[in-house]
Amino acid sequence: MFLSLNWLKDFVNIPKSLNPQELGRLLTMHTVEIDGIEKQADKFKNIVVGKILEIKKHPNADRLQIAIVDIGKAKLHIVCGAPNINKGQLVPVAKVGAVLPNGLEIKEAEIRGEKSFGMLCAEDELGLGDDHSGIMILNDKAQIGQNLADYLNLNDVIFEVDNKSITHRPDLWSHYGMAREISAFLDVDFKEIKNKEVITEEEKIKITVRVDDFSVCPRYMGLAIGNIKIGPSPQWIQTRLIASGIRPINNVVDLTNYIMLELGQPLHAFDLKRIREDNKVEIFVRKAKEEEIETLDGEERKLDNDILVIANKSNPIAIAGIMGGANSEINDNTTEILLEAANFNFITIRKASKKLGLRTESSMRFEKSLDPNLVESAVKRFVELLKEICPEAKVISKLIDEKKFTLKQGPIDLDLGWLENYIGEKINTKDVKKILEKLGFKILELENQLKVTVPSWRATKDISSKEDLAEEVVRIYGYNNIKPIAPKAEMIVPDIDKTRYLERKIKDILSGIGLTEVYNHSFVGEDHLKKIGIDYSSHIRLLNPISSHQTMLRQRLIPNLINNIRINQARYETIELFEIGSIYLSVSGEINKNNKTKEKLPFQERHLGIIVSSKGDVFRRAKGIVEYLLAKLNLEVSFIKTEVDYIWANKNIVADVKINNVDIGVVGKINNRVKNNFNLKREVAAIEINLRSLLNIIDSRPEKKYKEYEKYPPVIRDLAFVVDKNILYSDLKKAIINFSDIIKKVELFDVYEGERIGENKRSLAFHIIYQADRTLQSSEIDELQKGLVKELESKFEARLRDF
Amino acid sequence: MKNKLLQLKDKIFTELTNVKDVQALVDLEIKYLGRKGELTQILRGIANLSDEDKKIIGRLANEIKEELREKIREIKDIILEKGDENRDVDVTLPGEKIKIGHLHPLTQIQNELEDLLHSLGFMVIDGPELESDYYCFEALNIPPHHPARDIQDTFYIDPASLKTENKKIDLVMRTHTSSVQARAMEKYGAPLRVAVPGRVFRSEATDACHDVMFYQLEGLMIDKNISIANLIAVLHQIFSGIFKKNVKVRVRPGYFPFVEPGLEVDMSCTICGEKGCPSCKHSGWLEMAGAGMVHPNVLRAGGIDPEKYSGFAFGIGLSRLVMMKYGIDDIRLFTSGDLRFLEQF
Repeated sequence: MFLSLNWLKDFVNIPKSLNPQELGRLLTMHTVEIDGIEKQADKFKNIVVGKILEIKKHPNADRLQIAIVDIGKAKLHIVCGAPNINKGQLVPVAKVGAVLPNGLEIKEAEIRGEKSFGMLCAEDELGLGDDHSGIMILNDKAQIGQNLADYLNLNDVIFEVDNKSITHRPDLWSHYGMAREISAFLDVDFKEIKNKEVITEEEKIKITVRVDDFSVCPRYMGLAIGNIKIGPSPQWIQTRLIASGIRPINNVVDLTNYIMLELGQPLHAFDLKRIREDNKVEIFVRKAKEEEIETLDGEERKLDNDILVIANKSNPIAIAGIMGGANSEINDNTTEILLEAANFNFITIRKASKKLGLRTESSMRFEKSLDPNLVESAVKRFVELLKEICPEAKVISKLIDEKKFTLKQGPIDLDLGWLENYIGEKINTKDVKKILEKLGFKILELENQLKVTVPSWRATKDISSKEDLAEEVVRIYGYNNIKPIAPKAEMIVPDIDKTRYLERKIKDILSGIGLTEVYNHSFVGEDHLKKIGIDYSSHIRLLNPISSHQTMLRQRLIPNLINNIRINQARYETIELFEIGSIYLSVSGEINKNNKTKEKLPFQERHLGIIVSSKGDVFRRAKGIVEYLLAKLNLEVSFIKTEVDYIWANKNIVADVKINNVDIGVVGKINNRVKNNFNLKREVAAIEINLRSLLNIIDSRPEKKYKEYEKYPPVIRDLAFVVDKNILYSDLKKAIINFSDIIKKVELFDVYEGERIGENKRSLAFHIIYQADRTLQSSEIDELQKGLVKELESKFEARLRDF
Repeated sequence: MKNKLLQLKDKIFTELTNVKDVQALVDLEIKYLGRKGELTQILRGIANLSDEDKKIIGRLANEIKEELREKIREIKDIILEKGDENRDVDVTLPGEKIKIGHLHPLTQIQNELEDLLHSLGFMVIDGPELESDYYCFEALNIPPHHPARDIQDTFYIDPASLKTENKKIDLVMRTHTSSVQARAMEKYGAPLRVAVPGRVFRSEATDACHDVMFYQLEGLMIDKNISIANLIAVLHQIFSGIFKKNVKVRVRPGYFPFVEPGLEVDMSCTICGEKGCPSCKHSGWLEMAGAGMVHPNVLRAGGIDPEKYSGFAFGIGLSRLVMMKYGIDDIRLFTSGDLRFLEQF
C-alpha cells in the first residue's frame, strides 16, 4: 500500500523538522514496515518545461522533425518523431542525464545524422497516463525552465507499506488510520474528521435492502444521489489517487476510491438507472446461485453459492466486497447513482476472492475484518466531498441502513503490575494512559489497574486481551527504549537429544574420512522412481505438489543420492557422499497427531545414506566405510546375505548390515539397469542405515568399562583355507571363532582367487589369535589347530592352503 | 698395555677422519670393533692382567670403545646427511594426498548455533517434519482461513495416499519450526528452554531466494516473569554469539499470530557496520529473525497456565543466515548436491 505524506498531513501535524526518511523509520519502529520512500519530484529530475521556438524538417527522415527548444538557460536542438508539436507550445523536456520513470536514460544522441540533446516527452513516457498519441502539451501556467514536478505540483512523498505487516490491522489500510498512529508515536494532535449528517433533499427513490444473512454481511447502507454530472475529478483528487497508485477514472468512481484510501472503507457506486424499477430499487445481499456475471474488468465470471453477491430482483449486479458488475457500471451518461457502503465477513470475502482468483483493493481490505461502524463515516464523507466537487448533486433517497452486529470492546482489565512484569520495565501510568488514549482507547483508571475499552476499529479481530494492550503500549513507547535484562533462570545443563547427538557424531566421522555431506529434498517424483524401478504405490503424496519431480515423500535416501552422482560424475572421478535425513511411510507411526485423540502421524524416521562412485571396487569401499563408522562408534558390523529384494542393487552384491544379528541397514552395488537408466559412468555402491535401529543398539549396550589387558602374550597363527566360492566368509569366520574359547580373534588378511588353487575356489587367509589366562604351549596350539582344520574340512570342505 | 691402547685409539681416529662413505665406515668398525677386531682382541687380553691393572686398563679400554662408537655414529650421520644433499629432493613437492570431506554449510552453522543455545541452557530437540494441522497451525493460534494456511504456502498431504482410516485433510509439511512449540510444552511443561533447528517447507515457486524447503531455528523460553526485556537481552546474546562480536540488535513491531506482541528482529549490518550497503538495502540493518512473547492461547494449547507463566519465542532463518554469512546468492545451491559448491565449505 502507498501512503501520501500530503494526505497524512490532513489529519496529523507532522513537525516540519521531521524529514520523510525519519518519519519512515519511525513508522517502521512503531507501527508498520516501510519498504520504500519516494519523493515524487525525484521521478522528474532533469525534466523541465521548454518552449518550442522553431520546428525544422529532418533532412534525412520524413517522419522526424527537429525542434529548437528554449529551456531558459539554453536552447536545445532536439529530434522528435511526434506529429503534434507546433511552434510556441510549452512541452516537457527531458534533458541529457534525465532518467524517465520507465527507466530510459536520456543521452546525447545522433539520430539519422542529426544531433539531439534531449527528448520531448509524451504522457505515458512520464508515467502520468496512458496517452502516447503525442507530446504532452502544457498549459500557459508553465514557465520556461521550470521543473516539471513543480509545474505538476508533485511535491508529495510516497511511503510504500509492506502489506504483510498490516494483515492484522484493518484500520491501517487507510491514511486516516495511519495518521492516528503517527499522532500517537510523535505525540502530536490527531485531527478527527467530523462528518455532517446526510440529509435527504428530495425522496425520489425508495430503496429496500434485503440481507439474507447478517453473519456474512453485518451491515449494508444504501443511498441514492441524483443530478450528477460525470466528468474528470478535480486535480487534487487525481493527484492523490495517482500518488497512492490508483488510476483516476471519473469523479464518482474516483471519489469512492478516494474514500477507501482515506478511511479504509471500500465503496461502490451503481448506475441507478440500470438497476431501478420506476422509483424503486430493491437490493438483495445473497449467496450466488449457479449464475454468471460480467465484472468491471470485462471478465465473465462463473458464480456459485460460496460467493456472496449484491443483486437486484433478476440479476447479480456486483460480487460482494470484490468487484462491481459491468451491467450497472457508471458511464459518461450516468446522472443518478446508488452508493453502497457495506461490511462483509472477512472469511466470506477471502474464500470468494480465492475461488475467483480475483483480489482487489476492496477485497484486500474486507479480508482484514473491517469495522462495521466505518460504513457510516464513509457514506457521510462521500456525500460531503461529492457536494464539494459536484455541487449540484442531490441526495434523492433516505439513507438505508440494514445492520446486525456486535463488537467485543471490553473493557479489558489491565493490571499495571502485570504490565511492568510483561514488559520488563516500568512505564509511567500517565504515559500508558496517554498512549492508549491517543490510539483511541477509552480508559477508566482504578488503583493499579486500568479498565480499557477498545475502539470499534480495533475490536473486530485485533485486540481482545491484556497482552494485546501491552503490545500497544510498548510499541508506541518504543521497543528500543527498553533496557535489555538477562532472564533469571535456573542454572541447568540441558538434556542432550540422543538422536541429534548421534547424527552429529556420524557427520563428523564421515566427513573426517573424506565424504561430503549433501542435503536433498524430502520429495521424490514418479519419473525418478520409475527409472530406478521402485514401486511408488505406497508413497505418501502431496495434495498440492508444485512440480512433477516433487510429488511424493521419500521412503529412502538412496534414490536422491543416485542423482547426486549423476550431476557430479562429469567433473569428479571419485565421488563419496552422505546424507542424514527423514523418510516418511504411509503407515501410522508413534507421534501423536494432537492432544485430543489417539491418532498418530505417519511413520517418520531418520536415515543415513551413503553413496560412493569410482573406478575401483566400490562395494568393498562402501563396506569399509560402514565398518569404519561403526568401529568409531565401538560397534562391530557384519554383512549378511540379504533376503530382501532391493530393486536398485545387483542381486549378488548386496548385503544386510547387521550388528549382533540386528538388522540396521543395507549395502549394495547399484545394478546395471539403474546405472544405464541414469547414465552413470562408473561403478556405484550405496548404503542406507536406519539411525533409529542404530541408536537402539547404542542405547541398550552396557557402558564402556576399562578392561585389564591380558597378562599372557597371544599366539598368532596364520592359516589360509581354500573353499568353494559359494562358502561365505561370515560362516567360515564364525566357525573358527566358535571353535575354541582360546581363539579370541580372527582377522581376514587376504583373499585370493586364481588358477593356482583351482576353478570355483577361493582362498581366505586369516590371522588366528589364541590367548588364554596362562602361557600357551606351542604343542597345545598345534593340537587345536589340527582340530580346527578338520572341523572346517568337514563343514566346508575347506582345505589348508600350502604356500 | 695402556700405551698400546692409546696408540690404537689415535690410529683409529686418524683413519676415521679419512672415511668418506658408509661402507668404509662399516669396514673400519668391523676391523677394530668386530668380533675379531683389533680392539676386541686387546680387550680380551685384559682377562690375563693383574686385578689392579684389570681395573685401570679395563676402564680405559671401555672408555675408548665408547668414544669410538660415539665417533663412528657421528661420522655416519654426517656422511648420510651429505649424501641426502646430493639426492635431488624437491622439498616443495606436495605431501601425500589425504582426501578431505565436507560438512554441508547448513550443518556447520547449525552446529554452532546449537552449541551456543546449549550454553545458554536451551535443550536442542527435534520435531516431526510431516506435522498435523493441529500443531502447525491450530495450537499456534492460527485459526482456519488465516492466510498462513493458504494452499499456496503450505504443502498438504493427500489423505488418500495414507494407510489410515481418517481421510480428512489435516496433515501438512511443517511450514515453520514453531510447530514444535506446543509439543515441547506438553512434553516438558514449564519452566522450559528449548531450541529446534530443522527443515521446513513452503509450497511456493522456486527462485534464487525461495525454495520449497529451507531451514529455521526456533527458540522458546517459558518461566515465571519472562519479559520483553528478557527477550531482547537473549537475542542480543545470540546474535553476538553467532557473529562473535558485540552486535547491535533492534526490534520493531511484526505480526505472527502465535506471539503477542510480535517482533521483527534486526541486527546491525556486519558487512558495512551500519553505514548502509547493498546487503542491508542501505538501511544499516539486517532482518534476522521473527520473535515475540508467546501468545496466551499458545501457552494454553501447550497446557501451561498463562497467568502463572510467560515466555518468549524466536525463529531464525537458518538458510538465510548461512547465505548471508557466506555470500551465497542462490538458495537452491543448498540442495543442488553439486560438489563444486559443497567443497567450498
